[in-house]
Order: sequence, then C-alpha cells, then structure tokens
Amino acid sequence: MARRAIWRVGQPEEAGRSRVTHLDRDHALVDAARVDPARFEALYRKYLAQVYSYAYYELGDHHDAEDATERTFVAALTNLGRFEERARPADGHGASTFRVWLFRIARNVVADRHRARSRRPETQLEAAEVLTVDPDLAGGVARREEARDAWQAVARLPGDRRRAVVLRFVDEMTTAEIAGVLGRSEGAVRVLIHRALRAVARDLGENRR
Amino acid sequence: MTAGARDGGEIEALVTDRYLESLLAGGLGGSPAAGLAGLPGRRLSPDIGRAAARLRGDLPRLHPSFRFEERLAQRLAEVAAGLRLPAAAGGEGIVVPFGSPAGAGAGGGDPTAAFLFDAPLDERQDRVRPLLIGGALTSAALSLAGAAYVAWRRTRPPTTPMARAVRAVSRGRPA
Repeated sequence: MARRAIWRVGQPEEAGRSRVTHLDRDHALVDAARVDPARFEALYRKYLAQVYSYAYYELGDHHDAEDATERTFVAALTNLGRFEERARPADGHGASTFRVWLFRIARNVVADRHRARSRRPETQLEAAEVLTVDPDLAGGVARREEARDAWQAVARLPGDRRRAVVLRFVDEMTTAEIAGVLGRSEGAVRVLIHRALRAVARDLGENRR
Repeated sequence: MTAGARDGGEIEALVTDRYLESLLAGGLGGSPAAGLAGLPGRRLSPDIGRAAARLRGDLPRLHPSFRFEERLAQRLAEVAAGLRLPAAAGGEGIVVPFGSPAGAGAGGGDPTAAFLFDAPLDERQDRVRPLLIGGALTSAALSLAGAAYVAWRRTRPPTTPMARAVRAVSRGRPA
C-alpha cells in the first residue's frame, strides 16, 4: 500500500491547526505543472543535465542519450498525473521523490534502448571505448588519460553496480534515492557501491602497474 | 558465506557509505577519517578511499547541447499544449447542483446556487440536475438547439408514404 503523501508535524494539542508539510523539495513545481502543463518546463530545466548524464553514462553515445532524455521527459510530462509523492521523514531534508520517479522512467527508457541494441547489435555497450573523454578537460594529456581510465573502470562494472556509482557520483543522489530508482533496499545499494569501488580500485591499481 | 562474513561486508559497506556522504558533501578536507567519526574502530580501506576520490573528480556531470535543450523544450511545450486541450473541452468544468429555489434561498446554501435561483424557473419537482460549467458551454448550446429541433419536428409529422404507413400501423396496434 502506498505511503501517505503528506506528513503532519506539530503538537497533537494543536488540533485543527497542525502544520502539513511536503517533504518532496519539488512539491511546488510538480503542483504547478499539474495545474498548467506548460510549467513543467521548470522541472525539465532543473533535471535535464542529470537525466542526460545518466543516459550518456549508460549508453555511451550522445545521440542515444539525447533520444533517451527526450523520451524520459515526454513520458514524465504526459504521466505527471500518476506521480504520487512518497517522501518519508527518513529520506531527510531535500529528498526528492519526483527525482526518483523521473529516474525510474529514465532507467526504463535506457533499458528499452539496451534491449533494442541487443536485438540489433551495434557498438558493444559495456566496452569502455564507448565513453570518450572530454577533450577540453583541464590538465593536459596525463589528466585526460587518468579520467579515461576512471571512466573505463566504471563502464566495465556490471549493470546495477555501474548505475549505482553513476547515480551516486554524477547525480549526487543519496543512498535512499538510489534505492528508490533501482528498486532495492538501502543496504543492498550500500553493498553495491562498496563492491563497485573495490572493483574500480583494483582496476585502477592494475592500470598503474 | 557465513553470517559473520556477511555482517562484516555490510559494516564495511556502511563505512564506505559514511565516507562517501562526507566526500560528496565536500566536507572531508582531505582526511578520509573525518567522515567516519560515528563509526569507532572502523577504518576505510585506503584503496576504496583513493578510488572514490578519483571518481569524484573524473566523473563529471554532462550537459547536452543548447540546441538540443531548446528543441526538447519546444517539443515539451507542444505536448503541454496538447494536454491542455481536453481541459478546454470540459475537463476543467465544475459541476454545480441545481437545488430548489426554496433550499437555495434559505440561507446556508451555496451562494452560486442562490444567485442562480433568484428567480423561479418552473414548478417541477425533478429539476435537480447537474450543469457542467466550463469548456462545455458550446456543446450544451448545441444540445439545446438539438432539443428544440426535435420538439419542432414532433409537431410536424413527415408526410412521406413510409411515415404515413408507420402511423397507420401504430394507430391500429392494441394498447
């Protein structure tokens, strides 16, 4: 059963005057977009880079990432009526369940793209070469090679470990938010990230030798 | 895997999680131990600390091209306009129950209904029915025109041979 969308705070004796608060930091923007769909633009601008980054790290191709980003936002806009705020006090200040919901859509869109690619083989997705390092990266050739090594180490991680690392380091999500996106418990997400870091450390250590 | 080993792994994962929280919040000041203050006796593996620091610096957030951003904004605006269309056709209308004039004027009733019932409409008892106010006014007007046409048509029966035959059969049918 879905949790209550809102939580009451305040003293019980303030019956009838208890304050009602929404924990989702995007609550006001979501409400505005529900009343007037044109105001969805604020949410779009806010999360564009995050969704695009997630799609790019997953797909390794700018065109595919753009396509996935477009599908994600169009699906979010047309299904906004189905979104239900489920932030919990345990999610902490600034928890955004809209962001979790949006990234669940992105995850499904990217998974669809993966399936399409497996039916019609193109580039090897998991291959590290698909991630190209930004040539403008400051610090010269050595710095770019270091960055490429790190990207390749992440690209070699298996599915959910890679996603958890990208959501943690690139999109700066909390463990609770990542758990919501991946449909796992917070403990499972902590273990995923810990093991991913161990693998990346091993990988980078071997590259150094 | 034994329960002890599993617990050990979960605790290590918790230590790593604490460290990452501090690292990503930018509050470590270069000291991995600072993020683990609440976990006495637990030390973060130096390899994991180094890997986390590398990923923090080497996994940037990316932004699509400005052209793509504006094109998608335009597309979303079009989708949003499409979503507003059903509302314009009555989706945002409100249902106002038409109560009796007596009830509305007795105080405590809906002021909108009271306003609507300032003048008596008719004496029928079954006049409580909803009226959709909003985008459906046009279709309501069409319905009124349709009802008027049907009423007018009923007073002018058709004179075609088929219509005359139907009326003759209808008159001859036993009640």
